[in-house]
This record gives sequence, structure tokens and C-alpha cells, in this order.
Amino acid sequence: MAILEGKKVTKRFAGLVAVDKVDFELKQGEILGLIGPNGAGKTTLVNVIAGAYPPSDGDILFMGKRVTGLKPYQIGRLGISRAFQIVKPFPGMTVKENASVGAMFGAGGKNRSAKDAIIKAEEILEFVGLGKQMNVLADKLSVASRKRLEIAKTLAMDPEVVLFDEVMAGLNFSEIDRAVDLIKKIRDSGITILIIEHVMRAIKRVCDRIFVLHHGQKIADGSTAEVLNDKQVIKAYLGRRYKELTG
Amino acid sequence: MVLQIIINGLLKGGLYALMAIGMSLIWGVMDIINIAHGSFIMLGAFTTYWLFTLLGINPFLSLIASIALLFIFGYIIQKYLINLIIRASAFITLVLTFGIEIFINNLAQVLWSADVRMVQLPYGAANFSIGGFVTIPIMRLIGFLIVIIVTIILFFILNRTNLGRSIRATSQDLDAARLVGVDVARTYSVTFGLGVGAAGAAGTLWSILFPITPMMGGILTLKSFVVVIIGGLGSMVGPLIGGLVLGVTEALGTNWLGATYENLIGFTILVLVLVIRPKGIMAGAD
Amino acid sequence: MGNNTLRNYFIYSLLLLGVAVFPFFANNFIIRFGTDILMFGVMASAWNIIGGYTGYASFGNVVFFGLGAYTTAVLMEKAGLNFAAAFLGAGLGSAAFAIIIGLPVLRLRGHYFAIATLGVAEAMKALVQNLDITEGNSGIYLPMLNLSVRAQYYFFFYIMLATLIATLVVSYLVLHAKLGYSLIAIREDEDSANSVGINTTAAKTIAFALSGFFTGLAGSVYAYQQAFIKPDPVFTVESTLKMIVMAVFGGIGTLFGPLLGAISIEVLSEILSNYFLVAHTLFFGGLVILSIVFIPKGIADITTQKKFGLLYFLQNIRKHRI
Repeated sequence: MAILEGKKVTKRFAGLVAVDKVDFELKQGEILGLIGPNGAGKTTLVNVIAGAYPPSDGDILFMGKRVTGLKPYQIGRLGISRAFQIVKPFPGMTVKENASVGAMFGAGGKNRSAKDAIIKAEEILEFVGLGKQMNVLADKLSVASRKRLEIAKTLAMDPEVVLFDEVMAGLNFSEIDRAVDLIKKIRDSGITILIIEHVMRAIKRVCDRIFVLHHGQKIADGSTAEVLNDKQVIKAYLGRRYKELTG
Repeated sequence: MVLQIIINGLLKGGLYALMAIGMSLIWGVMDIINIAHGSFIMLGAFTTYWLFTLLGINPFLSLIASIALLFIFGYIIQKYLINLIIRASAFITLVLTFGIEIFINNLAQVLWSADVRMVQLPYGAANFSIGGFVTIPIMRLIGFLIVIIVTIILFFILNRTNLGRSIRATSQDLDAARLVGVDVARTYSVTFGLGVGAAGAAGTLWSILFPITPMMGGILTLKSFVVVIIGGLGSMVGPLIGGLVLGVTEALGTNWLGATYENLIGFTILVLVLVIRPKGIMAGAD
Repeated sequence: MGNNTLRNYFIYSLLLLGVAVFPFFANNFIIRFGTDILMFGVMASAWNIIGGYTGYASFGNVVFFGLGAYTTAVLMEKAGLNFAAAFLGAGLGSAAFAIIIGLPVLRLRGHYFAIATLGVAEAMKALVQNLDITEGNSGIYLPMLNLSVRAQYYFFFYIMLATLIATLVVSYLVLHAKLGYSLIAIREDEDSANSVGINTTAAKTIAFALSGFFTGLAGSVYAYQQAFIKPDPVFTVESTLKMIVMAVFGGIGTLFGPLLGAISIEVLSEILSNYFLVAHTLFFGGLVILSIVFIPKGIADITTQKKFGLLYFLQNIRKHRI
């Protein structure tokens, strides 16, 4: 069953077509990768899904219902959460407070009191491995810990779908592997994942299916193995250096 | 008669424009809103007053003195005070300039008392007529011309000198400018000095046309805000347009509604512009 | 209840008791001085809700004070209402104005929000100066309170105290409720706050309305106390600046900071004006400059420092110099 769908999603910015009639389907329980060269329109598409701006044309459906044009906070409350590429926790708040905010205002927040939200936040922080740093001020964390906090905040929102927006940037190999394990753990807990990435090592290890954008258009869509061997994808994305794909 | 009113408005608008140019420069380059702006205008006015009263120096000549003195004063304030915490939030610098405003205003009041003063020129009321339709007070016309000259000089400095290049570079990207070797501390100090110097010039002109007191600055700061917002940041032309718009609107508005409505007109325009088109009329025209 | 919390409650209760009985031991002048401190405490604490917690530094909050004052004057003098009704009307009216003006103005950020609010306050002053219902620049008289002189001083002191307590209690509740978290999130990073599910427009508007409500109440009491109000003193930008300086000096974004700031600055001003009749505002300006450079987080922050020395004062400069 498709939990998140895009139908002919188009986004124009003053004459430039950033996303061009893109169809996509995120099936419940899977990890779908979105890849493409820089400027392909990935971030724009994700921004449209998350409500940062409405599409110029086309629709986004969540669990069968139209969510096109809703504001970011509404999208968040429905159950689609986004973990950002440039990680910006709330600097003046502690780790626990940061995660609590997610628990208070996300999809599960409506019937949750502030106190319960804090308890939920503590559980999530243990889950992502930040249990020992709960009272540390967020701006004093290391980069890797901040990324974990970002994921914690996202999970605290009780999402059905999480959009991981280039969260692997800046991590070394062992950190990437640990992040991959965490993402799989998250999927196993019942959450569907759309992961936008450049880091091939991660994509190869974590995605069930992939779709590829290039110049705003979808040029491939299928299982990981199929897509990464597709000649068009290799040509568009990597030129002749496709050995990196298999790395 | 409408034409006369518009001309009066334009002439006063020119003065508003000169007042606002300094604020626009400082705000545009350093993202500092100088609440003490009106205080510097006041200091310029008093410089001219004292030079005239004590030494008999012609106010138009004292323009040079007031610009120079205020430039130095502004430079010092930026270098030894504002630069200390300039990377803090916008709010903090706002409160700092507020403290400076209180200090300068009250120092002036302590030194010179709250009495209202005037630079009385024998030829102050001179005017000439155009075809019997409109009367143009000569002082205001000269004031308007001086505004144009000062604006041109500032434009020249900003666009044709190395100093100006440094200023424009730091306004776009502080760190990048530093990396290519610009002395950003000194650039900021000079910029603030220029802005304050412009305020001094406006003060000199004001003293020739209107009465002055140590507390005159407050409303002038507010009016400068209006001018800057109307005209938009980032261009030399913005304050000019803003000033003229404010001047003419005030003239027409007070003629229609009454003199007591003068401030209401300006502030209503301010709020409307901010709500409809915050970047102003000339936004990004540079 | 832990030992610490119990001890804190005890101290607060003692302080409250002290404040509550102090008028009985003071002369009228001191009671009036105390009432003024309480009034600034309300205004600074109310400003703190929008300026401190939410990070939207309003430079026009005096508009709520003036509106509260004039609403009270008009309702009592022209519509014949009693003070209780006028008091409530003033608060609600100011809150309503905050919601209406907040619609366009809260969409602006930083400098632009500050100037827009300033413009609104100045425009309102100019408007009040020109309307008939407010008697323009001549001012409005309010009905006199039917009590002995001494009793009047008590009356205004306790009403202002009640207003301050209400302001602080509401601030406390907000801080510990979801609303408080959303306001601080907005202050720290408004875009992230939106993404995490916070309806930032609603949250900001509520904060602004609360700020307006309590500031309006303060204006209401002031008007009744003065028995005669004119536009300039109740809409003057100096009041907003004073509220802000008090909040900053005491500790912006903390619960008791603004009150602390109000007390310190009023007492300091009074002492200074006794010794330096002419130059005391000069000292005020100097104080503002020194505080913002050396103690931008206010006195409240000093009390949370484990180790405290000269270096504390230099932090701000070291972090923020060019």
C-alpha cells in the first residue's frame, strides 16, 4: 500500500522548472531512496512534500488523502517528519527539551500532556543512543550527536513517514554504518522512510528501492540493484566513475 | 494651492532624505538600527548654533565643521563601543544605541539646558516667486541643493573609491571581506562615521530652518525610520525617494486634515509599508 | 516535595508577605513609589512574554498601556462604568488589539517587527491626539475614587500587586506548558519550530495577546490612579524602552528577571535623582550602555553562575567583538 504518493508534482521558480511532473510512490514499511546529481530537484521535491511551499502543479497524497499545499506544521502533525541536512537543534534548549518539543507537537502530541511528552522524549533519546546527554545544552554537542538529536526530534513526533534529508553528509565510514543500522532499526519499529542521499555507501546498504531525479525529471525507479546498474543513471549521475557505486 | 503644497513638501522631503541617508547607510552596511540617530542630528544642529552664536560663523560654512566633528565622534563611538559587541544579536545593538541616545540627549540638556534656540539669519525669510503661482523660500531651496550635493558625494565615495569598495564588501559578507584583507573594524568605524556625519549635515540644515532643543532628536529618528522603510535599504536613491514621499504626503495630509495630523500620517505609512511591502519601494535597486 | 523546592516556596511566601504588609508601615510617598515599581514590574514581565520568551522584541508595547489607560478613562467617564468593568475591558481591549495588529505585524521578523510595533505605537498616539472621544491633546479626567486619601494609596498598591502576581503566575504556567516550549522554540529557530509541528502563528499571537492584556491592565490602574491622562505620557516610547531595559537588566527570558530589573532600576533612578538632580538620566544612559556590554543576560544570570569573577563581565565582548 502506498503511504505517500506524488502525482505529476511540478515546481517552477520564476521560469526555472525545478521539479517536472514527477510521480513517485512510497510503499508502507519500505526504505525508498531518492538520488540524483546536485541541482536535480531532490531538495525542492522534499520541500514540497514537507510543505515548505506548495507545488505549481500536481498533488501529494498521504495515506490516500490530498495534503498538497498544507503548511509545514500541519504536515508534521499528520505524521510526516523531516530530519534536516543542516542540523540545527534549538541551541538554547537541552537535548531533552529539544526532543520533548517533537513529542509535544508532532502527530502524537495532541492528546499528550507536557509531562508525558518529556517521558516519551527520554525513551526516544535512549533509542538513538543519547541517553547519557539528556541535560546537555544542544549547542555543546558534537556533530554526530547533533545528527542523532535531529533523528530523535523527528522520531519523537510519532511519524508514519520520515524524510531523511542528506543526513549522512560529513560522517566517516564507521559513523555511516552505525547510522544505517539506526535507520534500519527505525524502519523495523514500523516507520516508512524516504531517504535523500549522495552517500552511495549508505544508499546501497539501506534502500529497498530507489528513484532517481535528473534535471527535475524522474529517470529511473526500481529496486536498488536495478537502478544502480541502469545505464542512464550511471551516465547522468556518475559519468564513467561507476566503480564508486559498488563501493 | 496644491502646487505650492507639493513644493513645500518636496523641499521638506529633501531634508528628511538627508536625515535618513545616514541611518540607511549604517543599517544597510552593518545591520545596525541606530536609535541615537536623532541625537547626532541634534548635535550637528547645536554645532552650527554655537559656531554661529559664539563665533559668528555662517551656518552654511559650519556645515563642514559639523560634518567633520560628527564624523570623528561617530568613528570613535563605533571603534571603542559598538565594535565591542557588534556580533551579538540585533536586539543587543539596538539596546546599546538606545543607551547612547539617552546619554547624548541628557548630556546636551545638562550642558545647554532645555531652552529652545534658533539660528536667526537676517535673510532667513527670503523667498522668490515663480510666475506669481508658487513661492519658494530660498533657505529651503539651498537646503535641498545641499542634500543633493551630499548625496552625490556619498554616492561617489561608496562607488568610486577603495574605501567605498571595502564598505560594500563588508556589507555583503563580513567574513569574506576579512579574508580578502579588508580591515573590517576600520571599515565599520568609517561607515558609522559617515552615517553620523550625514546626520550632522542634516542637523546643520535643520537648525537654519527650524528651532532646536536637546530633545529634538527623538521624533527625527522615528521619521528617519519611516523614510528608510519607504525607500528601502540598499540604495542611495531609496532615502531620497522615501524622504520626498514622506514630505509630500505630510504636506498634503496636514493641509487636508490639519497640522496635528502630521505624525499620524508618517507612522501610518510606515506600518502600511511594512505590512504590504517591507522591503520598500526601491528594494534591491543597487 | 524536595527540600529545595520547599525552601524556595517558603522564601517566596515570606517575600510576598513582606510586600503585602509593607504599605502599613510606610508613608504615602513610599507606597506610591512601591506602586510604580509594581507597575513597571507588570510592564516588564508582560513585555518579557513576547520579547523574552518568544524573541520578538516589540518596541511598541506602550501602545497597550496607553490603550488600557484610555479605554478605562472613556469607559468610566463617558460610559459611566465602574472601575472593575473598565479594568477588565482595558485588559481585554488591549489583548484584542494585539491580536488584530499581530496579524500583519507578527509576520515580520527582527528589526522590521521592532519598527512596525514602534510605528503602531506612535500612530496610535497621534490618533488619540486627534480624536474627539479621547479629548485629543487636552486629556481626559476620570471619576475620583470614593475613599480616604490613605485608603486610595492602599487600593492602588494592592490592585497593582494583584496584577503583578497574575502576570507572573500566568508567565510561570505558560513557561511550563506546551505553549512555553513552542515560544522558546520559535525564539531559537522559527523554521525548525514550524517543521516540528508548532503552529507558530497561533503561538506568537497568543504570546502577543497575553503581553497586551497585562500591559493594558497596568495602564488601566495608572489611569484611575492619576485621575487625569493625556496622550503623550501614556503612549511615550520612553516607557517601552524602560520596560525593555528593565527586562534586559534583570534577565531577559527568565521568570523573575524583569521584576528584578524593574525594582533595581527604579530604586537606582530614585537614589541617583536625589543626589544628582540634574544629571541622573545621564547615569541611566550610562547604566544601559554598561549593562548591555557587560551583563547582557542580566542580573538573574549572575545568580546562576557557579564560579563568578571578572572574566564573567568580559564574556560578551570576547564572544561578540568584531
